Amino acid sequence: MQLQDKYRIAILSAYALALHGFESLIPMPIPWIRVGLANIITVAAFILFGFRAAMMVTLVRVFIASLFTGSFLGPGFILSLGGGVAGILAIGVVFSLLPGLFGPVGLSLTGALFHNLAQLFLAYVLFIQKIEPVLIITPVLILIGTVTGLVNGLVADLLVKGLKNSEVTVQNTKSF
Amino acid sequence: MSLKETVNGTTPGDRILFILLLIVSFIGIFFMKEVLPQPRDVTIEVEGKLTHRYPLDTDRRVQVGSPFGHLTLEIKDKKARVTGASCPNKLCELQGWISRGVIICLPGRITVTVGGPEEPKDRKVDAITG
Repeated sequence: MQLQDKYRIAILSAYALALHGFESLIPMPIPWIRVGLANIITVAAFILFGFRAAMMVTLVRVFIASLFTGSFLGPGFILSLGGGVAGILAIGVVFSLLPGLFGPVGLSLTGALFHNLAQLFLAYVLFIQKIEPVLIITPVLILIGTVTGLVNGLVADLLVKGLKNSEVTVQNTKSF
Repeated sequence: MSLKETVNGTTPGDRILFILLLIVSFIGIFFMKEVLPQPRDVTIEVEGKLTHRYPLDTDRRVQVGSPFGHLTLEIKDKKARVTGASCPNKLCELQGWISRGVIICLPGRITVTVGGPEEPKDRKVDAITG
């Protein structure tokens, strides 16, 4: 891994952590539903710097966020880690198998879907062990994940385009 | 770079995936509600011992007797009621049709439970009766 990659990952992780922290300030009627604002950074990191950078950013974010909130190695951490890794893995697989089919929005939706499915699976295997409540909650979570995934994907798209534009400007000013 | 441009810039794959996920989740929400309430049972206990168990889906009339009295259980449209009880004040009949809960015939020592998913055999004596 090059030094520049490390800087990028560090900065993107910091952004993801900031969004993660900001998100916990948003009041939510149901405690375990999150918008997943940090996934904006994950999707943007994937599009800008590829699979490995996005995976690293996700891992750093999950580990450090859990250390901040004191949930490290707790059930929330396991669900968070499993969901995050599954989401970025799914994004990577879909992107390499079907290149060009999905833009940032589609990748974000894919990530949200597999994030939720992995969390439900983990929750079922580790904690709940009853299939009925998991099956009842699954479509609800997929629906919420689709809506938040759409929003995150659109924001990630805007972010990537904005970053690319500013990069062009920076390069132009350098050349002068 | 505006939001509108970004929305217009989504690929057809993005849109199809979004609509597909919405459809799947809506179907799932309605489907799960229909399917998952398990076929429930009507159980009859005499003096706390399980004597009969009938599915709630099939309509029927059953005579239930105990050494202390008798009653007729009627199951119809996934509801149950008690008719023709031998007790003097017919409280169990007054309770009418129930789709969930318990009808107790105290003189006959008969309990009719329209059950949720939990098994009656798991029921334990509570703090008061124990």
